[in-house]
Amino acid sequence: METTNGTAGSAATAPNGQQEDASGFKLKFCTVCASNQNRSMEGHLRLAQANYPVISFGTGSLVRLPGPTITQPNVYKFNETSYDSIYRELEAKDPRLYRANGLLNMLGRNRVIKWGPERWQDWQVGMPRVKHEKDQGSIGMEAGVPDIVITCEERCWDAVVDDLLNRGSPLNRPVHVINIDIKDNHQDASIGGGAMVDLADSLNRAAMEERDKVGAAVFDAGGAASRASFDERVPEVLGEWQERWPSLPSTWTLSWF
Amino acid sequence: MAADSTSTAPSGSAISVAEQLEQLGAARKLVLENATYYDRIVKGVLPIIGPTAPVELRRWGAEFLAESLATPVLTMRDKENITVAVLDTIRGLLDAPGEDVIVLKASIAAAASAYPVAVRWIINNSYHTESWEQMSAVKSRILRIWDGAPVPVKLSCIKFAQRVVLAQTASNGTEQKYNGLDISLNMIPPNHPLLDPRQLEAEATGLLDRMLGVLQDNSSDALLVDATINCLSILTRSRPNTSNRILNTVLNFNPLKLANSPMTPKTRVLVRSLEKTTRMFLTHLLRRDPNNPLSGRIQQYVERLMRSRAEIFDEAGRKRALADQTATGYGDAKRQKVEAGVPQFSVPPLGPGPHTLAGVFTLTNNAGLQAFDATQLPANLAAKIGVRTLAALDQNVLDLAVNGIRDRLTSLHAAGAAAAAAAQPAVMNAATAPLGVDEDDDDYEPDLTPAEDTEQILNKLDNAPPEEAMGQPADAGAEMALGPFSLPPPPTLDPDAAAKLSQAAASRVFGPLSTLKDPGAAVRKPKAGINRLAASSYDRDSWLTLITRLATRSTAGLDSAPGTGGNGIKSEEDALDRPRASLGDSIRELLFTYILEDWRRRIEIAVAWLCEEWYNDQLTKRNGTGGELNYEKCALRLVDGFLSYITAQDKVLTRFLAEIPELSAPLLGKLKALCADPTTVQLALTSLLYLVMMRPPVREIALDTVAEIWTEYEDARPLAAKYLVKWRPGFIESQTRGTGSDAAPANNMAIAT
Repeated sequence: METTNGTAGSAATAPNGQQEDASGFKLKFCTVCASNQNRSMEGHLRLAQANYPVISFGTGSLVRLPGPTITQPNVYKFNETSYDSIYRELEAKDPRLYRANGLLNMLGRNRVIKWGPERWQDWQVGMPRVKHEKDQGSIGMEAGVPDIVITCEERCWDAVVDDLLNRGSPLNRPVHVINIDIKDNHQDASIGGGAMVDLADSLNRAAMEERDKVGAAVFDAGGAASRASFDERVPEVLGEWQERWPSLPSTWTLSWF
Repeated sequence: MAADSTSTAPSGSAISVAEQLEQLGAARKLVLENATYYDRIVKGVLPIIGPTAPVELRRWGAEFLAESLATPVLTMRDKENITVAVLDTIRGLLDAPGEDVIVLKASIAAAASAYPVAVRWIINNSYHTESWEQMSAVKSRILRIWDGAPVPVKLSCIKFAQRVVLAQTASNGTEQKYNGLDISLNMIPPNHPLLDPRQLEAEATGLLDRMLGVLQDNSSDALLVDATINCLSILTRSRPNTSNRILNTVLNFNPLKLANSPMTPKTRVLVRSLEKTTRMFLTHLLRRDPNNPLSGRIQQYVERLMRSRAEIFDEAGRKRALADQTATGYGDAKRQKVEAGVPQFSVPPLGPGPHTLAGVFTLTNNAGLQAFDATQLPANLAAKIGVRTLAALDQNVLDLAVNGIRDRLTSLHAAGAAAAAAAQPAVMNAATAPLGVDEDDDDYEPDLTPAEDTEQILNKLDNAPPEEAMGQPADAGAEMALGPFSLPPPPTLDPDAAAKLSQAAASRVFGPLSTLKDPGAAVRKPKAGINRLAASSYDRDSWLTLITRLATRSTAGLDSAPGTGGNGIKSEEDALDRPRASLGDSIRELLFTYILEDWRRRIEIAVAWLCEEWYNDQLTKRNGTGGELNYEKCALRLVDGFLSYITAQDKVLTRFLAEIPELSAPLLGKLKALCADPTTVQLALTSLLYLVMMRPPVREIALDTVAEIWTEYEDARPLAAKYLVKWRPGFIESQTRGTGSDAAPANNMAIAT
């Protein structure tokens, strides 16, 4: 364990310094929460700002936002309602309330990230997303297939994994599905967004190291910890990340699109 | 400019790799925007990305091929064209010695997408042997490098094998017709010149075994295990021949084996992943296919897994605590824990902030239990749980709980008073206010703690709007001052209401009959004979026995005797009461209706009932209390009831008459009515004949009845005469002699001879 830690640490500095711009290899991410409003959108924004290709979804049946009371939530359909229209509707309803609880602020942020909340289960994996060039994080996401899916709640992870089992993995493409438990409020979402970028950086570093090793040497002499492939290093990277973020419990699996 | 960095480019005029990649990137963007270019561009890049190209181009090429063959935008037909064109390149990339891992991984993924398409192509174009040879070569190459390959390549090999198994086993047609998932053994004709279904299926079975090997070895390589399990679901669901094999292997797999090794951050991730992935797979199958014969085992396995996981992660925490107190021996620590187990119970004081009434009464710390909505329980179940719990609860624990709640209320009251002074509404913190308003999350309802009784539940229901936290200080104090709660006394019953209620009670007794299964003739259980207990099992028969006895015996001797009864003075009130039916009578009435609803099948019940009535009458007679006798009345009523529906085929009549305990002349007299209808004459007379032959005690009454029939019904005479000649010789002679009729004797003579 000491050796792996050491290599990860030493590797951390070099590529990080030289590859902070948009060029170079970038893993593609997908963030998922229940309503594709708060936690996944915070993650979407932060990952996009860090120059990662990213898309985001919600796994709920409907988009639900707090209303005047707990029994009167504001409910919208996925894929058919834009952040902007929700913003305008809530602003018309009760600007004071929705400003006080931070909803308008959140929607205002979301509407400059992408058009509207999208539902995971309705997403056709691998459909080119060439029409989304205005979305933040769309560069590099044209083919519409992420390498890593990050969910923000155990329930969403379950929904994603179950949905992938249901789809029957037609694309034959591996995907790491990682859950990070983030409480559904603005403050925790913001913390979670930072943690996501940290995780993305760590994973991307491992992936870049794999791509830097070229050719037969790997094939013949693989095995040493430093030679481990990206896929193999994901649990290790996640374990180290968990040590840094002990309050955000995580779960991981390798699934297929 | 960029050419400087790639000065080793093969030909002088060639552009640099970076420029080439840029061009290729533009080409890719083009096909993503317009799928019609796929065919041209894929074929166009093949020469650039072949085995001799620089590794960057090979990587790009292999990944592009994998992407193009998997894309959902192309139709099967488009994909066939591309697949046939790229097989040679894929083969070249795979065959190159010492190929780059990323190139291999992507090439095998491309092959996995190509395989079902190639199979479909060959099914319809069997002349095209070349393509099949190439595909077969690719397949055998992949299967050869599988074992020794680096992990990322292995992952692709697993997926490739899965697609081969999918294409080469029989489908049940439940998969989506999408991206080649539906290509299966069903589509291959038995006499195909290139594809031999039996051989392909055998190969698939072998490959499936090889895939499952990682589970059979109980490997802790989470990456390979997860990759395997996460692609098994479609096989299990849509390829029935693989289902048992897969499920048995998974159910024998122990995802928690790794937990025995020291818990590093990485092993923690791995253990959790193995456990969760296995559990997700199994629960997925349970949900899609609850009727699976193995679902019982799956359920058990999943439950066991969750328990052991809880233990493992719990254990980890506990071990640390144990290690701290190394001074005391292991045994001591253990003994301590057991002893401390019983009285350790404390009610945590409430934290600051508003609380719901439910929160005040909540004793558990378990988040799951707290989220449980007790109002979902039907009232009777909640009451049952409450009663059971209270009965089993240790008095000390109850006292502790009650005192704890009392303390909470006191402190709340104090807090409420203090807050009233401040009188300021709580300010919501926008940053930390929960946003989760999901359908599953509106569990602000109280939970059912073990020490909760119905009254508490009722109180909580009164507290209806759940979001009304008790933050409002003025309310808090008032609401906390709960006075003693006493139930209002029940309203007094007047005789009419009581009668109505007992009528309702009686009808409820019949409720279970409709739900209880009729054991049916097929499963006749052996009669227990004289040792039989009346209602030893909860089946229909037992319940009926219970009903008949309720009707006949429960109130026997309790209902006042008819007329003057014991004391000889009939009060006015008694007179008013007279028309009311006793409980027994109302059950009798219902039993009568119940039997007549389907009297042919319920004749047995009728017999049982009459037996009970008869027995009860005997008891009444013996006691000499002058109670009401019911047998005769009921028997007559029953016979009257079904005689009007009887047809010539209803042999049950014979049986009924033979089995009821006592027959009387009036009862048999009812049979005469049957003789008015020529079709039922025979039935009536055979029933009587049976009685004459088999029940000597009633022989005389039966023969009297036959004689009466002979006298009264002209049409029945021939048959009646036949029996009379045999069993009461001389009767007809005496009759004919008396009347001097002419026709009848002639008839009789004919029959007698």
